[in-house]
Amino acid sequence: MGNTLRIGSTMNCDVLIIGAGGAGLRCAAAIFEKKPGTRIIALTKVSHPQKSHTVTAQGGMAAVDPRDPLDKPIYHMFDTWKGSDCTADQNIIKKIIDASWEQIAWLENHGMHFSRNENGRLSKRTFGGMTLNFGESSAMRAVFEADRTGKGIMDTVWGEAMKGGISFLNQSIATELIFRGDRCIGAIVFMEKEGEFAAILSKATVFATGGNGQVFRITTNCRQNTGDGLAVALQEGLPIMDPEAVQFHPTGIVGPGILASETLRSVGGILRNKDMERFMERYAPKMKELAPRDMVSRAIETEIREGRGILSPDHHIQHVWIDLRHLPDYVHEEQIPEVTSFFKKFVAIDPRKELCPVRPSNHYQMGGLPTNEFGEVQKTPQELIHGLFAVGECAAASFHGFNRLGSNSILELITMGRFVGERVVEYLEEPLDALPSGAGDRSSSQFSRFMEAKGKDSLGRIRDAMQAVMTEKVSVFRAEKGLLEAIEALQELKDRADRASLSSSSYTMNQELIQRWELDNLLRISMIIAQSALRRKESRGGHFREDFPERKDDFNYHTLASMSEYGKVRFGKRAIDMSLFESRGEHYEKFDMIERRY
Amino acid sequence: MSSDKDNKERIGKKMSRVYKITVKVKRFDPDTKKTWVEDYELEAGRILRFTDVFRKINNELDPSLAWNSSCEHGQCGSCAVRVNGKPLLACELLVENAINLFRTAVFTIEPLTIAPVVRDLIVDFDKAYERVNRAKPYLIDPSPIPEGESEYRISPRELERYVEATRCINCFCCAEACISSHKNFLGPNSLMASIVRLMDSREQAREERLELLYGEQGVYRCHTSMACSFVCPKEIDVAHFIALAKAGRFKAKGMK
Repeated sequence: MGNTLRIGSTMNCDVLIIGAGGAGLRCAAAIFEKKPGTRIIALTKVSHPQKSHTVTAQGGMAAVDPRDPLDKPIYHMFDTWKGSDCTADQNIIKKIIDASWEQIAWLENHGMHFSRNENGRLSKRTFGGMTLNFGESSAMRAVFEADRTGKGIMDTVWGEAMKGGISFLNQSIATELIFRGDRCIGAIVFMEKEGEFAAILSKATVFATGGNGQVFRITTNCRQNTGDGLAVALQEGLPIMDPEAVQFHPTGIVGPGILASETLRSVGGILRNKDMERFMERYAPKMKELAPRDMVSRAIETEIREGRGILSPDHHIQHVWIDLRHLPDYVHEEQIPEVTSFFKKFVAIDPRKELCPVRPSNHYQMGGLPTNEFGEVQKTPQELIHGLFAVGECAAASFHGFNRLGSNSILELITMGRFVGERVVEYLEEPLDALPSGAGDRSSSQFSRFMEAKGKDSLGRIRDAMQAVMTEKVSVFRAEKGLLEAIEALQELKDRADRASLSSSSYTMNQELIQRWELDNLLRISMIIAQSALRRKESRGGHFREDFPERKDDFNYHTLASMSEYGKVRFGKRAIDMSLFESRGEHYEKFDMIERRY
Repeated sequence: MSSDKDNKERIGKKMSRVYKITVKVKRFDPDTKKTWVEDYELEAGRILRFTDVFRKINNELDPSLAWNSSCEHGQCGSCAVRVNGKPLLACELLVENAINLFRTAVFTIEPLTIAPVVRDLIVDFDKAYERVNRAKPYLIDPSPIPEGESEYRISPRELERYVEATRCINCFCCAEACISSHKNFLGPNSLMASIVRLMDSREQAREERLELLYGEQGVYRCHTSMACSFVCPKEIDVAHFIALAKAGRFKAKGMK
C-alpha cells in the first residue's frame, strides 16, 4: 500500500469536467452537440451523477415564456438586479435571461417531464421576488417538474451526456490542477474505490464542484458539498470572488436541514417563539411572516439569541416553531403536501396537530471562482487562466451578486452550462500537453501528512467545532468582534486538524481520509468567508453586519480574495458590470444602484 | 391558550426520549477481503435518522465505518441499505419509527447485494447502474417538434399515466427486494426507465425499447411478487408498470 501515493496512471481526454451535477453535465451535453465524439471525462465525488446536489432543487426555474402576453425579459432582469442588491453583473444577467426560454425548450425537447397545463404546455407558478412591470405585481415565471425540478434537470442532462459517450469517474476527487505556464492542462485526481492517484491530461478543464454548505451546522446542502473546487483553486493561488455572499433560508427543518419552503408562510404559517408569541409582529408589523427572507432570518436569530428559542433535544440546536395547525385540511393536502410529508418523515411531526421546529439554514454560496461571460476563470479581472473554466454554484460570473432569487440557480446551471460548453469547444484544436515533472507532488505530500499524523483529536469534533463557530459568528449576523474571534478559532482548528490522526492506514475507499481532505477544504473556505466578511464593513444582500447595517456605495464592487497560505488573505476588487445601465436603453434607470426595498 | 400549554408539555416529553440501540453492521475490508459483523451500542434520540446514527458511530465510536449518503432526505437514493433484511433508505428511517416497525432495538445493517461491496456498507454503484444504462434512460430518437412550436405538447392526462414512474431515484431497493435472479433480469427500476420512455409520446425508438423489454432479460423474468412496489421508498407502484408491459400494452407503433 505504501506505493499508492505516487501517480498510478495517466489518462488523456479532450475535456475534463470536475463535478457531474447539473452544470457539469449540461456543459458536457453542449460540447457533444457542437462536436460529437469529443472525449469527455467527468469526475464526481458521489457514487453516481444522479446522486448530485442538483436533484434536491424543488420549486422551479425562472424563464420568461415568449408567448406570455404580460411578462418580459426586462422584468426578470430587473428582479435579478434588485434581488442581488445591485451586485450582480449586468452583462451576465442579460446573457442568461435572454437565453432562458431556449434552454427550457432544450430540456423539454430532451425529455424532461415538466408539469403541464390543460393545453399541454408547460405549467408556471410564481416565486418571491418575481414581478411584472418593475415590482408592480407577481409574475408567473417559474416552470417546474412538480416538486422535483432539479431531479428532472439532472436526469435529462445525465441521459444526454451518456448518449454522447461521456466517461464517468464516480467516487473520485480532484486534488490539484496541472499547469504548463499559465495554461491549465488537467488535474491530479484521487480515485477513492481504487485508493490511487491518477493524472488526467485535458485540453480544457471545467470546475463544476458545487457549493460549500457543510461549512455551517444546519444546511440544505448535501453531505458532499464541502467547497472542494474553491479550496483547490485557493491552493493554486487563484482568487475567490464574493465568498462572504452566503444565503441563509429562514426556515430549514431542524435536524436534517431540509428546506421548509416559503409556501408555508405564504399559505398562513405563523412563526412562534418558546412563549408562543407571534414574534414577527414586532419585527415587521405589516408584512409579518411574509417579510423578505433575510429579514425573517434575522428575526428568528434574534429570538434565539435573546433566549426565546427552543433547544432541540435530538439535534442540540436552538430553533423556533412554525405553527400550521390552524390551516384547513385542504391547504395541508393541496398546497403544502410535500413539506407536510417532510415533517412527518424526517422529524416525525404531524403539522396538522403539532408545532414544527425550524431555523435559518445555510442555503447557497453566491460567490465562487471569478469568470467572464464564457465561464473562463480569471486570475485577475484582466487575465484569464487559459483552459480553465468554472460553472454552477462554484462559479461567480456573477448572476446572483449578493443575494440569489429563488428559481434563478438552476436557470444559471443550464444556461451557463451551455455557454461554457460552447466556449470549451474552441480549445479542442490545441495539442495535449505532456505531464510536467512534479505534478502531483503537492497532493501526495498532503495525503502522506494526513496518514502520518499521530495526534489523538477526532475529525468529527473538529468539524463540529468549525460548524458551530461559523454558525454562531459568521452566518445571519456578523460583527467585527465575532468575526475576529471566528478567525482566531479557525486558526486553532487548522492546527488541531493538522495533528489529527486517522484510524486506518488503507487507501482503498477510506472514508476518513476523504473526510480529512474535506475538513482541510472546509477550513479554507471558512477562513476566506470570515476574512472577507470582516473586510466588507457594510451590509449587502446575504451579508449583514450588525455594526454596519446599511449598504454603502464605497463597497460597490466584488471582493476578490486569495489565500495561498492558510489565514493570510490577499484582497483585490472587480468592478460590477453595469452595461444595462450604461447602455442608456429603455428602462436603463431601473439598473442604477437602486434601493432594495420590498 | 391551554391547548398551547398542553402542546408544549406533550412535545417536551415526546422529544426528550432517548433510546439505547444496538447496531450490528456487516463490514467488509477490501484489503484483507475479511467480512465480519461489528456491534455498536449507542444512545439515540427518537428522531435521529439512521444516517445520523452512522455519523454518530463515526464521531463517537468508530471513524472507520464506511457508509454512503448524499442528500439525506430521500431524493438521491445513495444511502440504501438492508435493515433487519428490509431494503430502505437510511435517511428516511428514524430511530423511534424503526423500533416500532421492527419491534426491537437491535438492528442488523447490511449493504445491498445487487452490486459488489467496496467497503462496509458501500456498494459499487457503477456496477448497479450498468443495467439502468442498458435500458437507455433518455430519448433515443426524439420525434420532430410540431411545426410552429418550440416544445412538444403533452396533456396532463397523458402525463398522468407515467409520471409516477419518472419519480424513480435509482436507489435499487426494488432490485434488492426482487425475487427474480439479479443476473438474468434487468430489474424493476431499469425496466421502468425504459417503460417511461415507451409511454412518452416524444420517443420514436419504440422497436428498440420493445426488444429490450421483451428480450432475454426483460419483463418475462419477473415473477410478479410485487416486492418492488412494496419496498419502494418513493411509493411508486413499480409492479403496475411492469404489469402493463406484461399485458402487452406497448406496441411497435401508436400506443393506446
